[in-house]
Amino acid sequence: MIKFTLNDQEVTSTDDPSTPLLWVVRDTFKLKGSKYGCGAGLCGACTMHVDGQAIRTCVTPVSAVAGKAVTTIEGLGSPDDLHPLQAAWHAHSVPQCGYCQSGQIMSAAALLEQNPNPSAADIDAAMSGNLCRCGCYPRIKQAILSVAADENLAYEAKTRTEVNA
Amino acid sequence: MSTMNLSRRHFLRGSAVAGGGLVIGFSLSGCSSAVIPVENLPGGFTANAFLQITPDNLVRFYCPRDEMGQGITTGLGTLVAEELDVDPYTLDIVFAGVHSDYANPDMMVQATGGSNSLKAHYLPLRQAAANTLSVLLQAAAQDLGVAVQDIRTDAGHVIANGERHPYGQFVATAATLAAPEAAPLKADADFKYIGKTMPRLDSIAKSTGTAEFGIDIDIPGMVHAVVVRSPVAGATLVSVDTTAAEQMPGVHQVVEISSGLAVVADTYWQAKTAAAKLKPNWAEVPLAKVDSETVKADYDDAFATGDGVVEAEQGDLAVGFAQAEQVVDAEYWAPFLAHAPLEPMNAVLKLENGEADLWSGTQGPIGAQGLIERVTGIPAEKIRVHSTYLGGGFGRRGTLTHIVEIAEIAQAVNKPVHLLWSREDDMRHSVYRPASLMRIKAGIDGNGQITAWDAQRAGGNITPTTLRNMVPALLPNMPAGLASWLGDMTDSLFGSWMVDHSSIEGLYEDYDFPNRAVTHYSVDHEFPLTFWRAVGHSYTAFAIESMIDELAEKAGLDPIEFRLQNTRNKPRLHNVIKVAGDAMRNMQPAAGHTLGFASHHSFATDVAEIAEVSIEDGGIRVHKVTCVVDCGIAVNPDVVRAQMESAVMFGLTATLHGKIELQNGAVKESNFHDYPILRMNEAPEVDVIIVDSGTAPTGVGEPGLPPLAPAVANAVYRATGQRLRSLPLQLEA
Repeated sequence: MIKFTLNDQEVTSTDDPSTPLLWVVRDTFKLKGSKYGCGAGLCGACTMHVDGQAIRTCVTPVSAVAGKAVTTIEGLGSPDDLHPLQAAWHAHSVPQCGYCQSGQIMSAAALLEQNPNPSAADIDAAMSGNLCRCGCYPRIKQAILSVAADENLAYEAKTRTEVNA
Repeated sequence: MSTMNLSRRHFLRGSAVAGGGLVIGFSLSGCSSAVIPVENLPGGFTANAFLQITPDNLVRFYCPRDEMGQGITTGLGTLVAEELDVDPYTLDIVFAGVHSDYANPDMMVQATGGSNSLKAHYLPLRQAAANTLSVLLQAAAQDLGVAVQDIRTDAGHVIANGERHPYGQFVATAATLAAPEAAPLKADADFKYIGKTMPRLDSIAKSTGTAEFGIDIDIPGMVHAVVVRSPVAGATLVSVDTTAAEQMPGVHQVVEISSGLAVVADTYWQAKTAAAKLKPNWAEVPLAKVDSETVKADYDDAFATGDGVVEAEQGDLAVGFAQAEQVVDAEYWAPFLAHAPLEPMNAVLKLENGEADLWSGTQGPIGAQGLIERVTGIPAEKIRVHSTYLGGGFGRRGTLTHIVEIAEIAQAVNKPVHLLWSREDDMRHSVYRPASLMRIKAGIDGNGQITAWDAQRAGGNITPTTLRNMVPALLPNMPAGLASWLGDMTDSLFGSWMVDHSSIEGLYEDYDFPNRAVTHYSVDHEFPLTFWRAVGHSYTAFAIESMIDELAEKAGLDPIEFRLQNTRNKPRLHNVIKVAGDAMRNMQPAAGHTLGFASHHSFATDVAEIAEVSIEDGGIRVHKVTCVVDCGIAVNPDVVRAQMESAVMFGLTATLHGKIELQNGAVKESNFHDYPILRMNEAPEVDVIIVDSGTAPTGVGEPGLPPLAPAVANAVYRATGQRLRSLPLQLEA
């Protein structure tokens, strides 16, 4: 049994302790926002935060997060309560197929936590572990820079969501 | 997107709702279901197969095309919103089930590809929405006691006598009225949404992890399956000991299926771990003797036979070469490639009480339905296909071998099944972009006018493998032997008698060649091939646009001038070259950077690209790509820009990194460490210039890709003097 917190809730996993965290979160706890892309820590689609650090959960056994705080894309924000990065992602129409974006946003959020005002080179360094087959890189970079520059995009995008709801 | 509530779902008779002249009514199989699979929204007005409006003013749009990132929900949603006069962001967009009304008008089947979705639906969908609005207005006039011409509309509301009434107020009356078949469409000048930049309709769902992909489907009682296949395509199972795998925790059973062995377990991780215990023996097939080196040598040998099939002949090559002052002869190579969409193949299938529910994101829902029917014998009308978002397509999700697998597994286990391919599975058991060896011999006269164009291509054919997979899917009742025979016939047809146009497209169309011929040499290694973003254009443009620069240099002309004077009969391409050429002349690349140019017509769209390149640490670095595109009316200019950006990145992956290699018939590459995808630190800035020719929309998903590789190669030549004629581009030491 492995106990940890998942998006601020205490959970207990009875999966085999060697099971990667990604599959425990997706299949046991049914949070499907984090994606499988490579199973080898090469693409970043599975990125979550463990104690605030962006990690590749497809190669992290659930045993490694015992007693730690795990945050997934669902814990970062929701359509009705967007994180500023999610709002910026919408304002810049970043996603195409969208499959990699949870991982991209989790990597970006960890970057901004540690470095609220990153340069383009800082962004390249922090984000180059996250693959996007659709090639959304220029927009990802713009969206991160816009949040760092506090363009208040979060507010605009939220207004749009309210219209949707 | 809302998630469909199955318990509330029912099926309307097609004849009752297919008004408004929308019925395409064409089905290759002749047995697609007669009912339109739309939900029964309480009190809702079902105007046609695409649109439903409820009393509380929900406007639901059943999107007939698959969303793989190209932005088609946004594009088609915008068309519907425009004619219906609703805010596009208020649309409730649901992917359509399978029905002939949802066929792609350009393809006659329910499939998505060929960059044709907006082109094909531009008028029919607007018509469907305009007809729907017309009925609503008639209903409003009747209910409010006013004349139709005294009613205005605004954002989902009728405005009459200075009062706003939601459309939903009139749906009960609308349901009793006959819809017109050809209500007038809006004039272009009155467009509110078409032509405007707006954020994508799906970007919030895709930024919050709430967009549902096939891999995310999780239904009660389902088990997870992982399949072990032969490393060499087409080899069948000879023997295996399943004992160790069956004893692993969580494993239910190991099932033999046509493509190999399926391990079925409680969870994916258990199934995957157990699958590693299987060490099957596979039959020997001819492909097992093939290596990458032999592929290329076989293509060379094919050229040497001189026994190709001639296509696109015009004028007289002998005359053209006699008129030539200079002749250039060169050979170009493009390797096999994988699509590698980030979401690997997957599906969920539930078989119960003689009915089936399939959840998957595919580029051909009707093919998925046909394959379930073929394997299980359940009739099509009892097979419901629930399409999800696609985590990338690029042509990969038109081939549905995973649907055959899940149908076979679900039949054996008698439980709902979730099938997931690993990254390695998808890299090694996919269908691939064909490798191509291309030779072009061209002559120019003293004025730099091309007089002769002799293009040759050796390689596998794209269409036969695809047809071999599609025939059983689209004709589910055809006996397996006959379907297989039909597949053999298409192989033979394209091998010896006629040219598979997809395999040579782009090799001769762009320039004014008075004397030309394309000769094709089919070489089949039984390695499975299919459409890959931009299909034949993905490699032919590399050859043709590299050769054009080589010819321009021989002629002593600027590459833009040379292109302009040889495209006088292709006005739209000519104009795009001119616009891009003007932009290029004004560019001031940084010290040590060079510019390369290429243009290409594909999927009815014209694109020119300028790559700014430097050589860093012995490698090629692309700093910026300027892309000029004429795709007619840009329904959402930002989606057009995004597709050009995407094609540049996808093209640059192929230009700098992409190759699938064979060793003893097996694919050597397995994951992103040995099949690298462009990363952010390598991504160039992309500047997109949209030329608005005002004509109806043409393709945008693919046409941005073909010019990229030759634009980079042409820039590298200027930087280094090295003319690189082989992809991926690699500088000589």
